[in-house]
Amino acid sequence: MQTTHRLEWTLLATPLMAFLLVCLGFPAIVNLIYSVSDISFETLRSPELSGFGNFAAVLTDSGFWLANWFSLRFGLLTAILECLIGLGLAVFLAPLFKERSWPIAILMLPLMVAPALMGLMYRLVLHEFAGPVPHYLWAWFGNSPAFLGPNSAFWTLIVVETLQWTPFAFLLFHMAYQAIPEELREAASIDGATGFARFWRIELPLMLPTLAAALLIRFIDGFRVFDNVYVLTGSGAGGSTTSLSIYIYEAFFKQAAIGKAVAASVILFAASFAVLYGLNRLARRRRR
Amino acid sequence: MLNAIRWAVFALAALAMNFPLIVTLVTSFKSAREISTNPGLWINAPTLENYATVLTVSDRLNIFLYLANSFAVAAMGTLLAVALALPAAYAIVRGRFGEKTLLPLIVNLRAVPLVIFAIPIYMMFQFLGLLDTRFGLGLVMTIVNIPLVLIILVNAISDVPFEIDEAAMIDGVSRTGILFKIVGPVCRPAIVTSMIFGFITAWNEFLFGLMLTTSKAVPVTVGASFFFAASGGGVQWGVAAAVMMVGALPPMLLGLFMYRKISGTMMAGAVKG
Repeated sequence: MQTTHRLEWTLLATPLMAFLLVCLGFPAIVNLIYSVSDISFETLRSPELSGFGNFAAVLTDSGFWLANWFSLRFGLLTAILECLIGLGLAVFLAPLFKERSWPIAILMLPLMVAPALMGLMYRLVLHEFAGPVPHYLWAWFGNSPAFLGPNSAFWTLIVVETLQWTPFAFLLFHMAYQAIPEELREAASIDGATGFARFWRIELPLMLPTLAAALLIRFIDGFRVFDNVYVLTGSGAGGSTTSLSIYIYEAFFKQAAIGKAVAASVILFAASFAVLYGLNRLARRRRR
Repeated sequence: MLNAIRWAVFALAALAMNFPLIVTLVTSFKSAREISTNPGLWINAPTLENYATVLTVSDRLNIFLYLANSFAVAAMGTLLAVALALPAAYAIVRGRFGEKTLLPLIVNLRAVPLVIFAIPIYMMFQFLGLLDTRFGLGLVMTIVNIPLVLIILVNAISDVPFEIDEAAMIDGVSRTGILFKIVGPVCRPAIVTSMIFGFITAWNEFLFGLMLTTSKAVPVTVGASFFFAASGGGVQWGVAAAVMMVGALPPMLLGLFMYRKISGTMMAGAVKG
């Protein structure tokens, strides 16, 4: 049966495969060719192979490594903060959600807002004349830091990202927490494990897979951040907030350095492929 | 007592996370004069003049065009993604087609920074004349949406009992017939969920909108940033706030309407991803 119907299954999956081949496969090949070519906006259709000069240019560009360093720190810090706060809220507030779910809707509202718009909203919130935060800080403490200046921009962005995406981690932990059978909690309580002990010994181990998934998803999203950072500081703040995505964007659109931008893309592609491949193998081995 | 602390923590978290939304909403009802004298969270003289300004079309800023663009692009990116993913999901589940290669490849696409493909797509679009068109941006939104839509549909079809297929096969219905007449309708809730998810994702996208559009096809996320730069000297904060509220409202309403389904979907996406 498998073989006779093979054609039918292939036909059903063909539109999707063809679409991805054209829209992602072709660009991937263009990336590879351009990354080893001498390329400018004038010679787009006739790239001349030139070896690995573009890669050398990227790998010796301190801006590239700074962008990597920013993305790595940003991804790690926000993922950890979001998961810690999200887990804490999901567990501590759990009794509130037993009979009503509207508080959850309020907490997940930020997830529905475009990160770019959220970033623009923070430009208003933090604006020195029109923004309430500096206004109240001046009124109450007689001082207000330059939130988007070179010294504090990184931490401002961390807070902005964390506040918007903690609800995502919270939702995952909320679902995982609800999925723990009530009998298990009761049994633990009868055996004398209450409060923090019950959380630490029973509930947390059961939520570990969710914790791993949440950390990974949030790290990936943080690492490739673009929207909110771009609208808040761009590559400004002394270049201290250039994420890898912004680096590639600027190399292409601002400096017209196509070769460099494409080579950086290929490096990022290879890196994320390697990481994902490793994770998948790890997950498969765990399952076995 | 403990519950009172819980409510306090909840209120604090809700306030902190939604703070920019609250500030923007409040500011959007203030006159320019009031913003400069009273940037706080209280409105002395509420006014609708900012919304009136936003909804008045000028040659530089046309909010209706941005909204229409976002809507068209999100709708195309959602419908096309479902149309492509549904038959493929059926082949993956029932025919075990590409279960070990195609499925993981597409699922992992969710974790790849799409900026990688941005430059060749830009050049491809330039060659094909797709820059600054809704159709072009809609194609990109389809790519963005396919992974999660496929995961949702694969999960949904896996839950449909195989006996339904068998019964239809005995009656002589073809595979394609089963898909569209039986499996499709049974999976309608999942299809709707995936569409809402895809619509919100596409509406909120920014990077590709910024790169691939300049005037005709600008989506509202990109258009809103124009309001920050367009007024020459200072930003008209009241007008900018009103624009942001209008641009953020559609996905927020969808999300509030559907939030129970959305949390379940996120869980499914996280477990598979």
